[in-house]
Amino acid sequence: MAGDKVIFACKGLSKAFGGLRAVDGVDLEVREGELRALIGPNGAGKSTFFNLVTGQLRRDRGEVYFNGHRIDGLAPYQVMRKGIARTFQITSTFRRLTALENVQVALFVHHQRHLNPLALFVPGHKSMAEQALHLLEQVGLADSAHKPAGVLSYGDQKRLELAIALASEPRLLLLDEPTAGMAPTERREAMALIARIARERGLTLLFTEHDMDVVFGYAERITVMHQGKVLVEGLPEEVRASPEVQRVYLGEHG
Amino acid sequence: MDWLAENTPRIVVQLLSGLSVGVLLFLVSSGLSLIFGVSRVVNFAHGALYMVGAYLAYTIMRLAPGSGPYFWLALLGAPLGVALLGLLVEVLFLRRIYQAEHIYQLLLTIAIAFIIGDTVRTIWGAENRSVTRPDFLTATIPILGQAFPSYNLVILGLGPVVLGALWWVFYRTRWGMLVRAATWDRDMLGALGVNTPLVYSTVFVFGAWLAGLGGALVAPIQGLSPGMDASVIILAFVAVVIGGLGSFFGTLVSAVVIGEVQALAVLNPFLRQYDLVLPFALMALVLIVKPVGLFGRPE
Amino acid sequence: MQGALRKGLVGWRVPVVGVSVLAVVGWVLFLGASLVFPKLAPVFWVQFAIDLFVLTLFGLSLNLLMGYGGMVSFGHAAYYALGAYASALLVKKAGLPMPLAFVLGPFFAAGGAMVFGFFAVRLTAIYFAMLTLAFSQIVFAVVFKWTKFTGGDDGIQGVWPIKALAAPPVSDNYYYFSLGVVLVCALLLYLIVNSPFGYTLRAIRENPRRAEMAGVNVRLHQWVAFVIAGFFAGVAGSLFVFFQGSVNPDYAGVARSTDPLIVALLGGMHNYLGPAVGALLYKIIFFYVGRQFPFLWQLIVGIILLGVILLFPGGIMGAITERRWRRLPFGRRKGVPTVAPGEVETPTGSSVGGGNGGR
Ligand SMILES: Nc1ncnc2c1ncn2[C@@H]1O[C@H](COP(=O)(O)OP(=O)(O)OP(=O)(O)O)[C@@H](O)[C@H]1O
Ligand SMILES: [Mg+2]
Repeated sequence: MAGDKVIFACKGLSKAFGGLRAVDGVDLEVREGELRALIGPNGAGKSTFFNLVTGQLRRDRGEVYFNGHRIDGLAPYQVMRKGIARTFQITSTFRRLTALENVQVALFVHHQRHLNPLALFVPGHKSMAEQALHLLEQVGLADSAHKPAGVLSYGDQKRLELAIALASEPRLLLLDEPTAGMAPTERREAMALIARIARERGLTLLFTEHDMDVVFGYAERITVMHQGKVLVEGLPEEVRASPEVQRVYLGEHG
Repeated sequence: MDWLAENTPRIVVQLLSGLSVGVLLFLVSSGLSLIFGVSRVVNFAHGALYMVGAYLAYTIMRLAPGSGPYFWLALLGAPLGVALLGLLVEVLFLRRIYQAEHIYQLLLTIAIAFIIGDTVRTIWGAENRSVTRPDFLTATIPILGQAFPSYNLVILGLGPVVLGALWWVFYRTRWGMLVRAATWDRDMLGALGVNTPLVYSTVFVFGAWLAGLGGALVAPIQGLSPGMDASVIILAFVAVVIGGLGSFFGTLVSAVVIGEVQALAVLNPFLRQYDLVLPFALMALVLIVKPVGLFGRPE
Repeated sequence: MQGALRKGLVGWRVPVVGVSVLAVVGWVLFLGASLVFPKLAPVFWVQFAIDLFVLTLFGLSLNLLMGYGGMVSFGHAAYYALGAYASALLVKKAGLPMPLAFVLGPFFAAGGAMVFGFFAVRLTAIYFAMLTLAFSQIVFAVVFKWTKFTGGDDGIQGVWPIKALAAPPVSDNYYYFSLGVVLVCALLLYLIVNSPFGYTLRAIRENPRRAEMAGVNVRLHQWVAFVIAGFFAGVAGSLFVFFQGSVNPDYAGVARSTDPLIVALLGGMHNYLGPAVGALLYKIIFFYVGRQFPFLWQLIVGIILLGVILLFPGGIMGAITERRWRRLPFGRRKGVPTVAPGEVETPTGSSVGGGNGGR
């Protein structure tokens, strides 16, 4: 459950692609341990927002704070090392490495083994294999540990991404549509798993999602974005009742 | 100052000849850039196509050395022949690797370059050959007291013509617009319901045609040598990379710059020594400052 | 089930040379054969073998970049030449003893790789290839033109190893020396590509953006790989210079840079021993075909390359061993949803269950 400490905040975060204001002055605060959903119609700017936070896109304006440190302007890998991890809307794994190796690499990096001259001659496949397997077990992927990531089903790749993200023991997890591409039953399972892991580890979760059952089933607070701006933020009931939100979503349907 | 006054005629003539080199280089590298822009394949076989153009032109011109009509025939026929070869290469090989990793694309076009290169050397022999210019272009024309070959003047005149023609093709024809669209966003073609493979093929063939034209035009100036494919491809790459892969305008600018830099380097004893490496130094410099070339877009 | 998994972990991929019986037998046979080889084979073949060892190391070093790092260098000969020239100059100009010059040479190559690589790893794909090519051309031009120092076109002659290595019968001792050096280097490279560093490098090859998001300083990592590859190319160059007794600008030439590329592709760049197998095949083809028809050599190489790329993109080793590679370069876009490394997310990509969730 959410504490009082604000672990993540951004102020006036903005990014334009040419004339299109994909993210337009977003202010956001997330408290430690919170499960926060970021929703909005297609093109609202959710993924762009994530990319700004992680430093993959350079912001035009705005400030981002994490755990008391200012993190905007950092390179993505530096942001990650502050304790943020993310998954991608379109799964993004190391396709020709096995699932286990995928997680191992993430562990190496987190434990700074990958550039350690002393570890240069240590057999990599043995290092941290136990921990990696444990993570795969947690996300329910232990059976596929030795399959190349590229041949896993879409849902399994999402799980694998989650395991990769968890490997860095993040305090804030950004999940971009963690259940996209899954069958309806699978979605609920996946989200239940994510929520459980987050609670167990005291993780703060910021996730985007189009499946409203998932959103309202798990989010403690919801932020609604529309055309790059924050439209509404509040408890699920408040958001559900908001006429603006209804207008945005219904308007989309025509 | 004295040096400048004394050398002005030489400088002017060098500038002009550098410009003609630039025009020729542009012909070759624009095809390269075009092919890359659409298919994202870096065509290392482009130099070999250029060499084929030169040898075909030589063969045609040799039927009647010095004859004007045969010269024009060569300029017409050689690029067509190369375009045909390009079609063959595209349909047989390139088509199969558009989706592959770039490592394979690079190595495949290198393989094709090897094959064409040795085939040319087998057919035409490995000696250097000179090519007779057509009689009406053998004269030199005095410019500020320096003799300037009229052939190079023709090439200089051809530059704007080619540029105009290319502009027309790309901005006034439907095909040209498709090609520009594809360069901008490859997925757009499919979305527009266009026959994508056809666009890829025609682009490659057109690029090959340009290479053939460059080869045919260069033959009477530089003659033929069995290593001409390698030397030109490297220079053309440098031009394309400096300009920014896929950028037509960038290629034009850098081709002219390279031509001029090389021409002017001749005037300085130290630089003349290092003329070989100047284009590379230039490229390294540009890439270090601007990783995608002067006018290129990030991938 | 747990137990089976853990067991799978242990039996999975041979870590250091000689865990599986087959591997031990294979290596013992190989070592035995290579030890007696010079005693049985004519001088020509002994020299052939030295040549092969050098090319193998050169190919392995490039493959650290290409096969494991996904970086295609078109100018790897720069570091080979730097190693060779440094060793030669240290002997000739600085008057160092050969063993010292041999050991120091590769460090100059690594130094060069450090400088050039710093800029090169900032670029992607084809730009990387072109910049590495440019650097090798710069090295070429310098050694070619700086006649006073490097001997220009003629290069440097009379760079021989110490007596012990050059003792008659001419090449035997140098053969053992090269064999030893190449085996040690190959072992080091093997350990490196299978270390956490190596796995991370593979991850970068697969998906640099994802690697960065896992906290990898991608450029730094690539840079280190570049320097290591440069170092071992330098070892190959130094080894070759004392074998040839001379060095010339061709050491930095384009053809010298394509050699390891071809060798790695031929043997299979996703297999550690690929370049070694490729080098063997390349040298054999050259011996039996290329020497007879030197003017058709490129044609032959070209046809072989075409065949490999179109039919066996995994090279020989790929075709023999890891079946899972076989379909990859071409087939992979069909079955599995894929994101090319570095590709930007498409905003419409929420796919199947996406769309507007206003239910
Ligand atoms: N790299 C880019 N270049 C140009 N425009 C972009 C880029 N990335 C995103 N956009 C545009 O910015 C807007 C916001 O996109 P974004 O992907 O952030 O939306 P989203 O809320 O994640 O949508 P979805 O729910 O479909 O994932 C869209 O209009 C999109 O077209
Ligand atoms: Mg999105």
